[in-house]
Amino acid sequence: MNDKATGNKISAWKTTAWWVGLVRRNRTLLVFILFMAVLPLWAERLSKPLDIPILLTMRLVGVFAIAAVGLNLLTGYAGQVSLGQGAFFGIGAYTSALLTVKAGFPVWLGILAAIVIAGLFGLLVAPVLRLKGHYLAMATLGLGIIVFVFMREMTWLTGGNDGVRNIPSLALPGIGIGEMKEYMRAEYYFIWTIAIIVLALCANLVRSRIGRALQALHQSEVAAEAMGVNVAGQKIRVFVLSAAMGGLAGGIYAHLQGYIDPNMFFITLSISLVTMVVIGGMESIWGAVAGAAVITFLPKFVEAIPKWVGDAPKWLERYSNYEGIVFGLILILTMVFMPAGITRGLSDMVRYRRSPFVNPFRKKVVE
Amino acid sequence: MGFNIIFNSTGIINFAQGEFCMFGGLFTFTFAVTLGLPLPLAIILAIVATALIGGLMERSIVYPLRNASIITAIIATVGASILFKSLGRLFWPKEAYKVPEFSSGNINIPGATVSRQFLWVLGLTVVSVLLVYLFFNHTRAGKAMRACSINRQAASLVGINVSRMSLYSFMLAAALGGVAGLVNAPFASYSIGLFLGIKGFTAAVVGGLGNTFGAVTGGLVLGLLEELIPGFLTVVLGVSTGYKDAVAAILLITVLLLRPQGLLGKGVAEKV
Repeated sequence: MNDKATGNKISAWKTTAWWVGLVRRNRTLLVFILFMAVLPLWAERLSKPLDIPILLTMRLVGVFAIAAVGLNLLTGYAGQVSLGQGAFFGIGAYTSALLTVKAGFPVWLGILAAIVIAGLFGLLVAPVLRLKGHYLAMATLGLGIIVFVFMREMTWLTGGNDGVRNIPSLALPGIGIGEMKEYMRAEYYFIWTIAIIVLALCANLVRSRIGRALQALHQSEVAAEAMGVNVAGQKIRVFVLSAAMGGLAGGIYAHLQGYIDPNMFFITLSISLVTMVVIGGMESIWGAVAGAAVITFLPKFVEAIPKWVGDAPKWLERYSNYEGIVFGLILILTMVFMPAGITRGLSDMVRYRRSPFVNPFRKKVVE
Repeated sequence: MGFNIIFNSTGIINFAQGEFCMFGGLFTFTFAVTLGLPLPLAIILAIVATALIGGLMERSIVYPLRNASIITAIIATVGASILFKSLGRLFWPKEAYKVPEFSSGNINIPGATVSRQFLWVLGLTVVSVLLVYLFFNHTRAGKAMRACSINRQAASLVGINVSRMSLYSFMLAAALGGVAGLVNAPFASYSIGLFLGIKGFTAAVVGGLGNTFGAVTGGLVLGLLEELIPGFLTVVLGVSTGYKDAVAAILLITVLLLRPQGLLGKGVAEKV
């Protein structure tokens, strides 16, 4: 191997150093990849006694993680609060579903189209980025409602409330649908491969010039502009990127579920995506993944608890809605006690455990 | 209007405002039907109870988050909204409750028939607007609240207890939400708080945030448009009325982009 600048042969030591550097910079990512690779081995054994379909749920976590990381680029890093990510998710899902069901496209092309269409829609509605803070949040929430209403009412295209049925599943080579267990595992690996590629790209992006520009405009748009950051342009770009990632997640989701209807993409989806970002931790790629896992697994846990207890008390079973109580309480408590999210909150707690001066529960987040 | 009050004095958009309406309706039902109290007493009790919930929410959620970022506060109020709704389901498990109308029957005016209930709604709205106006312009607490909305630091410098004002404004907003819920009670019940939330916010934005009368005007404009546009759509374009639900959202975005200060609001210069 030759060094481009000098033409000299690069020493073996230099090559090794380069590898060591690469591994060190991405050690979280590598550990994560290892963890995800071996997860199916023990997940299947644990699912039965816990009464939670771990692998099944992990596929969904992968999908939501993609959308949540996209949203975190926009909300966490660039500081633009969006309550409309679910709309892009829905647009992606409908694009891919309709193209494969009605036009007979192959699945991979459908998902690609989902990314493109969601991104284009993001570009179309980008003018809302002129708004700030609460106004932006409410305007994006409005967008979510508009998209939802159109999905429901354009019956000739979307089938209205009946939704789209018989969406082809992610046709994976070599495994028949008949072998459920193997198929599920293959889907798991497929989704998480895509998710990890996206995560790695995002992790790189936020460390790059663009990532620093986004963080700068989060702090102060005026200061960022003065430093030569094209504030409006960067905002639009990151918005489109996050929309496209929402579209990608939506596209995969449609093929995973095999059936979609507008109610899946109501503003509650946007809200839960934002929740994933905030609960997991803003300005953190891994936080969004953790948030996606917590929010997706939570209902399964709540469902499983009465089964653990054996014969659950009647009052516990009767109130089917106590999931909402747990969910609401967790949201409130996390926000009050760990406003920086669970990942940051827990690591702070460990870090300051012995410190007599800093109480992590009183730690203020600097805006 | 409740939105406006909270936004003014705390700078927080309260997503649980819709749930206050829910509580207003449900409490009226409990007091009036289950406990069999006379209706006026039930109404007053319901308003007080809703205001207490609002106060509780302010102390437990909003006050600890007074220094947090916008999104943290939003998520916390969303959490409160989910919690309230589930609690509502828990204690009032049925989908819909029939609260007795204030007075039944219709009144015939030449050319139109108006239900008495509608007149009550109108009357209560006018009375509460008037009360809020008097409160904000002619009482010490109301003026203090307005001071907080203009500049919290300055307000605290002249000796106003900003945190107490925030508590009061939440209670007031909750009470108003309760009024809205209970006048609506015989017509509708469990509605999605978030939907109601965006409608309330739209009304406030259309009229201009921080302007009490603006919110009322905005509410009227929104209500009229929501009734007129679907009619227009069906008759002229021949499409379904389901698009009605998008009217509020479209109006919100249009107004925000074209006239962010609202229809009645004055322009505000932004400080960098």
